[in-house]
Amino acid sequence: MLKLQNLTKTYANGVRALDGVSLEIPRGMFGLLGPNGAGKSSLMRTLATLQAPDSGTASMEDGSGGNIDMLRDKDVVRRQLGYLPQDFGVYPKVSALDLLDHFAVLKGLTARGERREMVESLLQQVNLWDARKRKLGTYSGGMRQRFGIAQALLGAPRLVIVDEPTAGLDPEERNRFLNLLAEIGERVAVILSTHIVEDVTDLCQSMAIMNRGQVLLTGSPADAITALDRHIWKKRIDKTQLESHRGRFNVLSTRLVAGMPVIHVFSEDRPDEGFEQVDPGLEDVYFLKLRQQQLAA
Amino acid sequence: MIAEIFRFELREQFRAPLFWVVAILFALLGFALMSSEAVTLVGGLGNVNKNAPVSVVAAMTVLTLFGILVITMLISAALLRDFDQNTAELYFATPIKPRQYLAGRLGAALVASFAIYVLLAFAMYVAQFMPWIDPAQLGPKSIGPYAWSLMVMVLPNLLFTGMLLALLAVTTRSILWVYIGVLGFITLWAVSQTLASNLDNVWLVSMMEPLGIRAFGRTIRYWSAAERNVQLPALTGYLLGNRLLWLAVSALLAGAVFALFRTERTGSRRGWRKHKRAHVPMVALPAKPLPRIQPVFSASTHLRQLWKQFGFDVSGVMKGIPLIVMLLFGLVNFIGSSTAMQSMYGTPIHPVSSEMATLLQGSYSFLLVIVVLFYAGELVFKERQAKMQDVTDAMPVSNWMPMLSKLLALVGVIVLFQAIGMLAGMLVQLAKGHMALEPLTWLKILTAGCVPFVLMGGLAFAVQVITNNKFAGYGVIVLVLIAQAAFGALGFEHKLYNFGSWPNAPWSDMNGFGHFLRGQLAFQGYWFVFMAAMLLLAAAFWVRGVDGGWRQRVRAAGGRLRGPLGIATVSMFALFAAIGGWLYWNTNVLNQYHSSDDVEDLRARYERDYRQYENLPQPKVLSSNVDVDLWPEKQSMTAEGRWRIVNPHATPIQDIHVQMGDMRNLVSIDFGGQVLKLDDKPLDYRIYRLDKPMQPGEERDMTFRVDYHPRGITNATAQTQFVENGSFFNNRLFPQFGYDPNGELQDRNERRKRKLGEPRRMAKLEDTSARQRNYLTDDADWIDFATTICTAPDQVALAPGYLKREFKRGGRRCFSYAMDQPMLDFYAYLSARWQVKRGAYKGIPIEVYFDPRHAYNVDRMIESVQKSLAYYEANFGPYQHRQVRIIEFPGYASFAQAFANTIPYSESVGFIADIRDRDKVDYVFYITAHEIAHQWWAHQVIGADVQGATVLSESLAQYSALMVMEKEYGRGNMRQFLKYELDRYLAARGSERLEEQPLYRVENQQYIHYQKGSLVFYRLRDELGEEKLNRAIRRFLDTHKYPRPPYPTTLDFLRELRAEAGPGQQQLITDLFEKISFYDNRVVDATAKKRADGKYDVTLELHADKRYADGKGKETPGRLDDWIEVGVFADGGTGKERDQRVLYLKRHHVTAANPEVTVTVDALPTEAGFDPYNKLIDRVSSDNRKKVVLR
Repeated sequence: MLKLQNLTKTYANGVRALDGVSLEIPRGMFGLLGPNGAGKSSLMRTLATLQAPDSGTASMEDGSGGNIDMLRDKDVVRRQLGYLPQDFGVYPKVSALDLLDHFAVLKGLTARGERREMVESLLQQVNLWDARKRKLGTYSGGMRQRFGIAQALLGAPRLVIVDEPTAGLDPEERNRFLNLLAEIGERVAVILSTHIVEDVTDLCQSMAIMNRGQVLLTGSPADAITALDRHIWKKRIDKTQLESHRGRFNVLSTRLVAGMPVIHVFSEDRPDEGFEQVDPGLEDVYFLKLRQQQLAA
Repeated sequence: MIAEIFRFELREQFRAPLFWVVAILFALLGFALMSSEAVTLVGGLGNVNKNAPVSVVAAMTVLTLFGILVITMLISAALLRDFDQNTAELYFATPIKPRQYLAGRLGAALVASFAIYVLLAFAMYVAQFMPWIDPAQLGPKSIGPYAWSLMVMVLPNLLFTGMLLALLAVTTRSILWVYIGVLGFITLWAVSQTLASNLDNVWLVSMMEPLGIRAFGRTIRYWSAAERNVQLPALTGYLLGNRLLWLAVSALLAGAVFALFRTERTGSRRGWRKHKRAHVPMVALPAKPLPRIQPVFSASTHLRQLWKQFGFDVSGVMKGIPLIVMLLFGLVNFIGSSTAMQSMYGTPIHPVSSEMATLLQGSYSFLLVIVVLFYAGELVFKERQAKMQDVTDAMPVSNWMPMLSKLLALVGVIVLFQAIGMLAGMLVQLAKGHMALEPLTWLKILTAGCVPFVLMGGLAFAVQVITNNKFAGYGVIVLVLIAQAAFGALGFEHKLYNFGSWPNAPWSDMNGFGHFLRGQLAFQGYWFVFMAAMLLLAAAFWVRGVDGGWRQRVRAAGGRLRGPLGIATVSMFALFAAIGGWLYWNTNVLNQYHSSDDVEDLRARYERDYRQYENLPQPKVLSSNVDVDLWPEKQSMTAEGRWRIVNPHATPIQDIHVQMGDMRNLVSIDFGGQVLKLDDKPLDYRIYRLDKPMQPGEERDMTFRVDYHPRGITNATAQTQFVENGSFFNNRLFPQFGYDPNGELQDRNERRKRKLGEPRRMAKLEDTSARQRNYLTDDADWIDFATTICTAPDQVALAPGYLKREFKRGGRRCFSYAMDQPMLDFYAYLSARWQVKRGAYKGIPIEVYFDPRHAYNVDRMIESVQKSLAYYEANFGPYQHRQVRIIEFPGYASFAQAFANTIPYSESVGFIADIRDRDKVDYVFYITAHEIAHQWWAHQVIGADVQGATVLSESLAQYSALMVMEKEYGRGNMRQFLKYELDRYLAARGSERLEEQPLYRVENQQYIHYQKGSLVFYRLRDELGEEKLNRAIRRFLDTHKYPRPPYPTTLDFLRELRAEAGPGQQQLITDLFEKISFYDNRVVDATAKKRADGKYDVTLELHADKRYADGKGKETPGRLDDWIEVGVFADGGTGKERDQRVLYLKRHHVTAANPEVTVTVDALPTEAGFDPYNKLIDRVSSDNRKKVVLR
């Protein structure tokens, strides 16, 4: 569906936000995983026509066998795009209904009847129907996020880009929200960026891990996890041992369990007696890739 | 604790770059005010020095008004910083007390504010020592006035404004609301100023105005230049009252600030309006799938998107609090000002649409400057401020759509704002019972009024887009605004390089915008194209998506400019240049462009080169017969004149020097054979050498032809004499002979700069050579006059004389007029479409030619003519003409002027006065009477061209009109009028540029021959009696009727006056005419005692003082030997002065400074007065009356 090749972007302050990013993104949910500052948002803004890369290409299938040059034919991309930025605001004094209607016109829904049907149905879908006439300034963070997804789904987007959409949502809301996304993902390409690993595991058929502007891994989450089978070891240690373990083993993560550090270590064989083997998770993949990059640097 | 907070805050204040920017700006302003000619705020006028104490005080005080905006910044920074930066909780979790915090913060902000003014004072003080200042404009350089200003004016003003702002800050905790409050304060301040024009509430206004500007102005209003140059006002009266009142208010405000200060988080207390911020959880998803609706992108989609975005942006602005606040303030200001609409003597005018629309522009629409500047920024950054740009920029809309829609929204807001103003204006009209709404007039004036704001808004918009930083954008626009004002002041007056300037088209109800619109529209088009070019350029810089910094924006812009946008931008700039070239060709090639400096240089050269010819004998005109062909449709006029001229001198005339007045339109001139010896084109000065010199006494005919037609567009407003409807021009457009001293540069400072010496003054009263000419013209004495004027077929044309013939010539309507007796060489032509109203006085027809919309006072004018003729014929002698015509002309000038049997009368001075209230001064009646009186005073007797000449025309006309008014309205109502005359006289003498003269030597100084003339003659009438005075005047007239050289002077008049007056009144005549005298009369104490017979003995302790002033205002004591009225009054029940019962009123001979008078009256006295009707010139008229205390 989407094909990105060698996208590069260096900001004025010298930060390399994208460093030769090449990706193939199929239809369905695509998870983009990475720590803060990994370049996820830069990549998404580039795909959302908001930022031009210094070099590289990006193309998108147009649904009838042809290809769209995403970097040049921005207008064409925008007509099929739904975008929910990571950090967005609203006009506080406008009601949800009015603003959504306004956006609908901008999205090309100019026929009044159709637009109304679409807007009302979306407001019901994200469960803002009862609050549709309230000023957006009075919305809670979760409601605002739902409004954001509603506007991203206006029209008939073939490409939906959502940047860390679940930040600020409570667990219940997060679930509902992801369900909605998954439902949409059945028909179109949905690119979802997050630093919450479970979101990707739960939802995405394919994914990429990014850091420092580079793609560290791409493929399906299941394959990535399977590749680590029997290589992840866990040990509960004392705080004082932490430093020495770090020196001796390939420690992927440290987590406190009941006040005691539990470490995950990547190793072909059992590192020492205290370790027990655990089933790998996507988190282990994630940390391993980051660590490998760190070591390589 | 306070000390630490204070120290920290003061350091923060002094560290802020903005503080230094403002402080340096203020210092520069102060420096410029003191040391340059270009920048003026107050003072520096005429004889008042640049560094006169009162000028220093006035400048520093007025700057406290502008300074409010600065103080707002400092105060709100001190009080709101912690709440804005979320550091408040860190502070208030420490053991400091809120009042310590507040006192420290506020104190530091006030000290920082005060520091700005200390710096200002310092800069002003230093500026006086700059070597380039003309030392003649400087007085003693003392620190006193600066210290005085800082302590008496600046400090209390800072305390008041500071506390007011602090109160706003602590109660709203929003910088926006603080600024809105400031705006409101300034608006209300301005409204309160409009109430101040009425003389009756001086005390109230002086006290009410918190900054003391008015109290200070009131205190020094009657000061002479001499006093202004050395004195500071004493801290008493208005000033002390005002300062104390507002210090007390400041203390109350401070109390409120401390009482209302809260340390809690914003919003944690219960507000006056409940904020709903409930959460609606996301429950189970409904099963219904989303409808699949395919968006459509066609050509019409763009338009629909544009329309939607436009409506969205307009409603966003219109619902914004700043806009609503500005709208409300504007409306309050406008409606407030509309209640005080007047033109003269406190008499209101009818709220006709043109006046209302003009008032609306000045009191309401001007706020649009702030609106467009503010909202240009708001609209450009609307999405980014709401952090929505990522959402909206990814929408499938064209790149041009958001920018265009916002631009249109800005224009839409301007239109809506004006429309709301218009609606309010019409409601005000209806509320005042004015039914003629004239929507078309409203629309035309307001539409023209939108243009400056659209241009300013467009430019601001472009600047915001290009700078891509709201505050940088504001800064650039403020620079543009400053440049607009500064260019003119610095002598760069061409409108081609001053953004948004054009030759202004004045409105006249008679003539609409007339031909003036052409120049205005051409220049507006020029600036509009410039704005469009800037906007196209800005479109290339429009940020969509992530802003990648300047380099990336320039690269992106370069990319966009390589397409059609670039072609459009370049073509627009090319069009701008082309229009500019065309305009330059119009203003500087077809027409002449001179900056005011150039004009002054030219006048200096005129004096240098040609003053040598001042006394060269020149011919005089004996008769004039001019054929005028006027084309109002084309604003053109040609005239062919045949004059008979004579050489009245004892020597032959070889050379005739010819000059034209305002318009250089002489095509040919023939004196019966001559050579053009000199032709100074820049000065339009010609010398003709006659083939045959004119021998003494020789008469000959001469002809000339003038041809005026407009040549394209001028840089200044086009000429106002030939217009589509309402042409009015006089014989200054025809040739004039010899050097004209009036062409010399008058301004003392400009002369000094060009090394020209002191300005020319009128010839001395004793100068016998100047008595060879009258003060109107040197070119003729009395002439025979006949003329023909042809005009548009639907217009009537008028000129002095009687209509001999009306006929058609080549489709033009022509009128021939002839005067049946000699008249002054002073005649005018008028042409328009009028309605005519006729009346008569003893068989003399009276005609008023007026615009059909201005019929209000026409009957009153006719009545005034009738009553004036009656009084003047009875007391001065017969009226010399057989007809009186009053003719309305467009309000491009505001005067009425008397020509022989013809009185042009501006539409702006009486035609729309609302004189229905009998309590108001009926100045329509008065002005008419004054102009009719000129048929005697000017047209029967005219003074020599020496000092005092205007007494014989203007002062006598004032006296005559006063008498007619008194007969009509009664003595009691005269005071209302004379009060204004006294105030205007006393106020004007302080700004005298040269030297105040006693009345009999008046050098055409209006405040003397009009205002003082009224006062002097009215008092004279009181002392001599009407009969005696009129007898003297009549004898003067009879002796000097239709004078030939030598012309009469005030000495001749005073001789008649002194002959009529008794020996005891000779000193009075000296005081009134030959000296500048002032009284200081007051009632010190007034007590009454009931007598056994029921009557009352009233004992008055009085104070009297008479002083003489010299021309600069320096005073010397005079000897009291005057008859002054003493009055005792009883309350008439209403408490109003005019209803009072006069118990006693008699003139007493006063010779001592503290006379005591006891009088017996029949009824209970309430008030006593010493000169109770203010007939004497007294600078404090309010203490002439006092309540009587009963013992």
